[in-house]
Amino acid sequence: MEKLTKEQIADALKVFSPATDSKLLSHLNSCVRCGLCADSCLYYLTSGEEQHIPANKVDMVSSVYRRYATFLGKLTPALVNARELDHDNVKEMTDVLFGACTMCGRCVAHCSVGVDIEYIVRKGREMLARMGFVPPSLQATVDAALETGNNMAIPEEELLDTLEWMEEELRDELDDPDARIPVNQPGAAVLYTLNPREPKFFPLSIAAMAKIFYAAGESWTLSTQMYDVTNYAFFSGKPDQAKTIADRMLSEMDNMKAGKLVLAECGHGARANRWEAPNYVGTGFPETITSVELIADYLKQGRIRTDCELNPETYTLHDPCNLVRMGGICREQRYILENTVKRFVEMTPHGIDNYCCGGGGGQLAMGEYNERRLKIAEIKAEQIRKTGAGVVVAPCHNCVDQLTQINIAYKLNVHIKTIAEVVSDALVLP
Amino acid sequence: MCLLAFSIHFVRLVRLGRPKDHSEPSGSTTRGIVYSFTSGMNPLKKESAFLHLPTYTAGIVLHLAIFMSLVVFMLLIAGVRPGPVASFILGGGAFAGTLAGMALLVKRMASRKLRLISNPDDYLSAFLVIAFLAFTGLVVFVPLLMPGYMLAAGILFLYMPLGKLKHVLYFFAARYHLGYFYGWRNVWPPPKA
Repeated sequence: MEKLTKEQIADALKVFSPATDSKLLSHLNSCVRCGLCADSCLYYLTSGEEQHIPANKVDMVSSVYRRYATFLGKLTPALVNARELDHDNVKEMTDVLFGACTMCGRCVAHCSVGVDIEYIVRKGREMLARMGFVPPSLQATVDAALETGNNMAIPEEELLDTLEWMEEELRDELDDPDARIPVNQPGAAVLYTLNPREPKFFPLSIAAMAKIFYAAGESWTLSTQMYDVTNYAFFSGKPDQAKTIADRMLSEMDNMKAGKLVLAECGHGARANRWEAPNYVGTGFPETITSVELIADYLKQGRIRTDCELNPETYTLHDPCNLVRMGGICREQRYILENTVKRFVEMTPHGIDNYCCGGGGGQLAMGEYNERRLKIAEIKAEQIRKTGAGVVVAPCHNCVDQLTQINIAYKLNVHIKTIAEVVSDALVLP
Repeated sequence: MCLLAFSIHFVRLVRLGRPKDHSEPSGSTTRGIVYSFTSGMNPLKKESAFLHLPTYTAGIVLHLAIFMSLVVFMLLIAGVRPGPVASFILGGGAFAGTLAGMALLVKRMASRKLRLISNPDDYLSAFLVIAFLAFTGLVVFVPLLMPGYMLAAGILFLYMPLGKLKHVLYFFAARYHLGYFYGWRNVWPPPKA
C-alpha cells in the first residue's frame, strides 16, 4: 500500500466537518470503551478477536477525530490514543470497517451508553472511500449500477426475456391468457422495483409478486430504465454515487407518473430508498413503501384471500436488520405469516433484537471476506436449527442469498422463501 | 473553567442542532427520545446489562456515587456541612462508589479484551474519579482533609471536559440522537408482542 498523500488525508477528514448537525459529534464523544458491546456482535462472538469489538470499531474512527479535532488529541495524542491517518491504520480500518461489520446495528441498541456504532462505522467507510480504499469487489458492484442501471449489469434484453418467461409461467398457473407482468406502463398506481438477484437467480419471486398483484387487481408496472431497488453506494461510503442512483429512481418515478414506489423485498434497498434517498437528493420522495407493507395492506383490506392450509409446514422468520431494526417494519411480516402459514415459530431472539444473517453491510458483494461471512453465519444457522422449522422466510433477497449459502454450509436442510413466495402459495383466487 | 468548557461543548451541540432528515417519518421522535431515556435503558432489555450484571451494577453504583459526590461538592463549597446521619449516608455512598470504580478499573486492567480497547485516558479518568470519590467519603468525616479533597476535585474538574469524562454531557446527547433516529423510523418504542 502506498503512502497516503496530504490531499488524501485532508479529503478524508472532511467527513468530520462541516458537521450538519450534532449527531456525529455526540456519538464520537460518547463511547467509554466499556467493551460490553462485544457480546452483541456476530464477528466478536464467532471470532473472539478483540479487533472486532464494536467499541474498537468506534475507536478506529474517533481516534482519528481526536487527533485532528480535539485539544488533547493535538497536544498529547498518546494520552487519548489519537491516531494519525497513515497507511498502517488505514489498512486495519479497511479490514475491520468493511470486512468485519455488517452494519446490522445490533450493538447499537445494546450499547450501555447509546452510541450509534453503525453510524460511526458508516462515517469510517466514508473516510476510507474518500482516500480510495473501498474493497474492489464492492466498488465494482456500485460501478455496475452506475454504468448499466443495475448492480448485476443485466442487459435489458435479458431482463425482458426473463420477464416474458415469468409472464408465461404466470399465465399457465392462473390459466388466464390476460395475466401480465406490465413493463414501462406510465400512470400505474404502483411502480414496482426488483432486486437484480431476482431476474438473475430467483425469477420465480417475480412471478410470485405478479400473482399477488393479479389477485389484488392492482395497477402496476416495472420500469426497464430503473428497476434496481439496491443502492450499494450506501455501503461503499460514497454519498455522491448513492445520490446519483437515488436521483435515477426519483426521476423514473416522475417519468412513469406512478402513484407510489413499492420496494421489492430487500432490506438495504428499503433502507436506501425509504430513509436515505431523500437525504441523498435533499428533498422528500414520493410515497414509498415496501412490498411487505403493501401485501399486509392487501390482506387487511381483503383485496387478497389466503388459506393457511396451503402452507402446512412449520415456518420461521428471519428479520432483516435494515428492514426491522433500521426501518421499523416488524409487525407487517408477522401479520402476513399469521394469515398464510399453518404453523409459525419465532427465532430467539427476533424482531429488533434478531441476529444479522451475516450478508449485510455489503458483505455478499465483497468476495474478499467470504470465509469470514460464512463463519459469522453459524449464529444464524443455530438460531434456525433451534426453531425446528422446515421453511425460513426472509423478506430480503440479500438475506435469502446468504441464508441459501448458510443452508448448504451448515446442512440445515430447510427451504428459504420470500414473503411474496409464501403469500403466492397461499393465495385463494376467485 | 470546567463549567465554562462544558458550556462551550453544550452550546456547540445546541447550535449544530438536531438531524435534518428529508425522509417522511413513520414514528414519533418524542416517543423515541422518551423511550431512549426510560425503557430503552432497562437492564432487562440490554445485553450490555443482563449479560454482565456485576459490571452493570458496579457501573450504576459508580455513577450514582459520582452524582451524589458532585452534590456534596456543591454543598461544601457553599459552606454547608452535612450532619452526622447525612455524613454517614453520603460518605458511605462515596466509599461504595470508590469500591465500584476500583473494581471496574481492575477489570479493565485484568481483561485482555478491555486492555486492547483501552487507552491511557481511560485509566487516568478512572483514577481521578476514584480519588475524588475516596476524598469525598473521607472529607465528610474528617474536615482536615479538605485541602486534599479540593486538590482531587480541582484536577478532576480541569480534566473532565477534555478526556473521556466529557461523556457526562455527550451521553445525554447520544441517547437523544438514538431516540430521535429510532423514533423517526418507528423502531422505538418497539412493538408489543
